[in-house]
Amino acid sequence: MSIGQSPVRQDAAPKADGSIQYAGDAVPDNALHAVIVFSGRPHARMVSMSTDAARAIAGVVDVITAADVPVNEYGLTMLDQPALVGVDHTGVAAVDGAISRWEADQIAVVIGESRAAAGAGAAALDVDWEDLPILGTIDDALAPDAPLLHPENGLPTNAYHPLKIRRGDLEAGWADAEVVIEGTYTVPHQEHAYLQPEAGTAYIDDEGRVTIEGGGQWTTEDREQVAHVLGLPDERVRIVYKAIGGAFGGKEDMSIQIALGLAAMRLAERGERRPIHCRWSREESIVGHHKRHRGRIHLRLGATNEGIITALEADVTLDAGAYNYTSNKVLGNAHLTVSGAYRVPNARIDSRAVYTTTVPGGAFRGFGGPQGAFAIETTMNKLAAALDIDPVKLRLLNAVVDGDEGITQAVLPEGVTAVEVITACAGRAAFNEPMADVEPFAPIATLPPEPTVTRRGRGFATSLKNVGFSFGFPERCEAEIHLHGDGDEPTSADLFHGGAEVGQGNHLAMRQMTAEVTGVTLDRIRGHFSDTATSGDPGSASASRLTFMSGNSILGAAEEAEKAWRDGQRPAIGRFRYTPPPTESLDEETGEGQPNFCYGYMAQAVEVTVDTGTGHIRVDRVTSTHDVGRAINPRMLRGQVEGAVVQAHGYVLSEDLQVSDGFITNPRLSAYLIPGIGDIPTEVDSQILELADPLGPFGARGVAEMPFITYAPAVIAAVHDATGVWFDEFPLTPSRVVAGLRNAGI
Amino acid sequence: MKYAAPTTVDEARSLLADNPGSRVFAGATDLIPQMRSGRPEPAVLVDLKRIDQLMAVSHGEGKWTIGAATPTADLTRNGAFSGMFPGISEGAGLIGSDQIQNRSSLGGNLCNGSPAADSVPALIAADARAVIASSDGTRTVAVAEVVTGPGQTSLADDEFIVEFEIDDAPANTGDAYLRMIPRTEMDIAVVGAAVRLTMDGDTVTDASVVLGAVAPTAVRVPDAEAALVGSRLDDDTLAAVSAAASAACNPIDDKRGTIEYRTQVAGVLAKRAAVIAADRAQNGA
Ligand SMILES: Cc1cc2nc3c(=O)[nH]c(=O)nc-3n(C[C@H](O)[C@H](O)[C@H](O)COP(=O)(O)OP(=O)(O)OC[C@H]3O[C@@H](n4cnc5c(N)ncnc54)[C@H](O)[C@@H]3O)c2cc1C
Repeated sequence: MSIGQSPVRQDAAPKADGSIQYAGDAVPDNALHAVIVFSGRPHARMVSMSTDAARAIAGVVDVITAADVPVNEYGLTMLDQPALVGVDHTGVAAVDGAISRWEADQIAVVIGESRAAAGAGAAALDVDWEDLPILGTIDDALAPDAPLLHPENGLPTNAYHPLKIRRGDLEAGWADAEVVIEGTYTVPHQEHAYLQPEAGTAYIDDEGRVTIEGGGQWTTEDREQVAHVLGLPDERVRIVYKAIGGAFGGKEDMSIQIALGLAAMRLAERGERRPIHCRWSREESIVGHHKRHRGRIHLRLGATNEGIITALEADVTLDAGAYNYTSNKVLGNAHLTVSGAYRVPNARIDSRAVYTTTVPGGAFRGFGGPQGAFAIETTMNKLAAALDIDPVKLRLLNAVVDGDEGITQAVLPEGVTAVEVITACAGRAAFNEPMADVEPFAPIATLPPEPTVTRRGRGFATSLKNVGFSFGFPERCEAEIHLHGDGDEPTSADLFHGGAEVGQGNHLAMRQMTAEVTGVTLDRIRGHFSDTATSGDPGSASASRLTFMSGNSILGAAEEAEKAWRDGQRPAIGRFRYTPPPTESLDEETGEGQPNFCYGYMAQAVEVTVDTGTGHIRVDRVTSTHDVGRAINPRMLRGQVEGAVVQAHGYVLSEDLQVSDGFITNPRLSAYLIPGIGDIPTEVDSQILELADPLGPFGARGVAEMPFITYAPAVIAAVHDATGVWFDEFPLTPSRVVAGLRNAGI
Repeated sequence: MKYAAPTTVDEARSLLADNPGSRVFAGATDLIPQMRSGRPEPAVLVDLKRIDQLMAVSHGEGKWTIGAATPTADLTRNGAFSGMFPGISEGAGLIGSDQIQNRSSLGGNLCNGSPAADSVPALIAADARAVIASSDGTRTVAVAEVVTGPGQTSLADDEFIVEFEIDDAPANTGDAYLRMIPRTEMDIAVVGAAVRLTMDGDTVTDASVVLGAVAPTAVRVPDAEAALVGSRLDDDTLAAVSAAASAACNPIDDKRGTIEYRTQVAGVLAKRAAVIAADRAQNGA
């Protein structure tokens, strides 16, 4: 029995003692250093760029510009971004490559004998720009006279990827509504703030492949994007992941890889074959990679006096920033989650992404779910308050069950466990009993508790999150297993898998599942991971999908290997490509379709204390309940829950990215405040339910995003419970809280 | 850039006199980040930590003498000092983290000139003095006179602080420093409030109220002090302290706190610090 146990991770000791090789550690002695030059212009057309002065600097080896780019376009889901902005580009691109659309559009790669030399070269680039209007907000971009940022998409506005839901009879729904709750919610950007900023090394390997060692979330997709720009077949590019210090969606898109690949390819052509290393500083990382989408959601919900939902109208706008990244997909997910895990008979939902000249929005743990859940769950909590119904009871009245249609008028995939999760969470949190006492509130080390002005409250939220890719994407995951041994049963095994170990522990989970199905003990399972030269297409470490997908690929590969074993093949090799039931994109007019094949269900109950004098909020207790189907490794699972809660804690309380006129003005961790150890919730109680998913390996679903999604609305509800004030906008910085309380006369 | 490590005050005096454009430093916890972010490099960096007098903490003749380069950890760990000046110790004990406090000095905290410097309000509330040396000799000024604006001091280029002097607190005196930051640690004060009270029974006989981070320099709040003296810290007095503190604010607006917020919370903290200082004055730290 290997699954259901919590053996120590193979990477625990080397991570603790520092011996593990992250991409930023693995710098060959003879490496050249690359500095990627950002435009520093939120919106401008390049008129000219001279590299002469840069090249003349001692130690500068070469300068790569748009003229070196074979195909000057890329993007994970749309090819709307130039690899390098420049005047002399190839023209093999639909997007205009001479325009910088955000401050971190890349314009050159300066390669030097040292980082200092490359930096000096970067500073010596001579660039002329013609500034264009800055579209710094959604409203700027939607103004009638706003210039189009992507005219190549043929749309008459900067809004794109419109999505609709038209369900039931809305007029009848409003007629049945005895109470209506309406509000506009503003959701902020969030920075991933992974421990390890982007880093990598590129070289030409023994087989002549342009090879990039670094971090990422999906080896074969990285390869495809790099190969596209380099004008090479996929096989001529190799992606290898070193140890990855966190990703959270922030490493799903390209950052330094294309620049490094271009540099390695062009320098090799010019006879320079030394490896090239590039490492972003924290500032470069914060400025240079995408963020969780900021946006605005308008929501109107009608219900009977008993609390039964009769109608819902929602309008979702997300700021895509300069390029799409995965905005279309994130938007789709917000579009689905803005109606919650509820039966909504009559609905009209309109969603769109909007291009602006700011940092792109993209993948980040929850992927649109946190934005949608904040709006619907806050609305549900307001409805509970308006009707004076217990918020748990209100949810149980409306929660979807097996056999129900989702908001897209397709029956939800089997294994709907919203009711079980809500009930378990409320029970564990003793939600219908008085709150237990806590230690007096000492909001920060220096401020002693001030019981006369502290108030306590609790809040509840629930949601669902898809496991795996949605909307008709050809979802797949490949594995290969080799069984070895001299006797009747295999005694050791090799697992080849591309799945990215981004810190979540997936490589151990995969080895545990391999041990479970092959009968080989865990210590004799050797993993060979995340190298496109040796492993297949894993799909991404995202969408809470990797345990589910890699598990199913391993089950299939093990079965194939067993067959080969029985046929006498030694080593017995099994290869398998798992594909789940297909999904569909939504109908353009009605939103009908089956967008997903699996969901995870979750609920959270949160207790807070608010210092009404200083606006400080302490989260005393979080009950985070998850139906994970099957806990492959319970300890790592708890790590995911606690980690997601802490990350969400920063999202709702302190992380305040400032973007002004297209520039991020606080790109430092001293000014962008992620929670410290003293700020995180006093107690996080992870309640794990194992209600098997019919498709999941061993019944497993995913969990990585779920604990993030419901936290903000649960905290906002608890703050309301404590103070009587609703906050429709966060983060709840002390300034915002005090302003809100004073407005309400507190 | 050159580095020099004099071992006597006189050696430091002549180094500074002979090398215009030099800069003294102690823990360098402000200096190094500033140089890394592009501040011009000085001609000579003069390390003050090898001078014994600047690294000593002593008590005698009715006063404490604290070397200007002494790591603040030496103060917070000094039980006798912290017992007499819990508020100063609190301020010094808030600077950064344990690692930072093993380096950071009172001299550096003051002369860096940040309005948010955590040790400064309580030093001013205790009427601390700075002993300043240069090739011309030595002068002693009130700590309150040293900083003139953000990043600016009244020290001449060739002057440096040798030590701080703080007279023993009178009987039945207590001080307190409270700092508001958005998170619990490793952040810059949004508001700091130091209060020092001397009590006769329930009645305040002497009061100092000093705010940090709400104006270009740390500021005294005479109206709050006047409201306190003669009072028994009843609700009306505390409301007056709070209002006076808010009125004394002239803060910046930034990511950590809006003007409105800083102004309101200065009142909240001044009031809370007064209550703690009174308790310490009456019952000991
Ligand atoms: C991570 C981190 C966290 C921090 N947190 C805080 C905090 O919470 N609160 C806070 O107040 N500060 C904080 N600081 C700032 C800094 O640590 C303090 O201001 C500290 O007290 C500075 O002392 P130092 O000895 O390191 O000064 P240095 O960096 O050595 O010097 C600072 C300045 O003072 C001058 N100077 C130093 N000594 C003298 C002298 N004897 N005479 C004349 N001029 C002198 C120097 O020339 C320089 O301009 C933090 C710094 C860091 C890096």
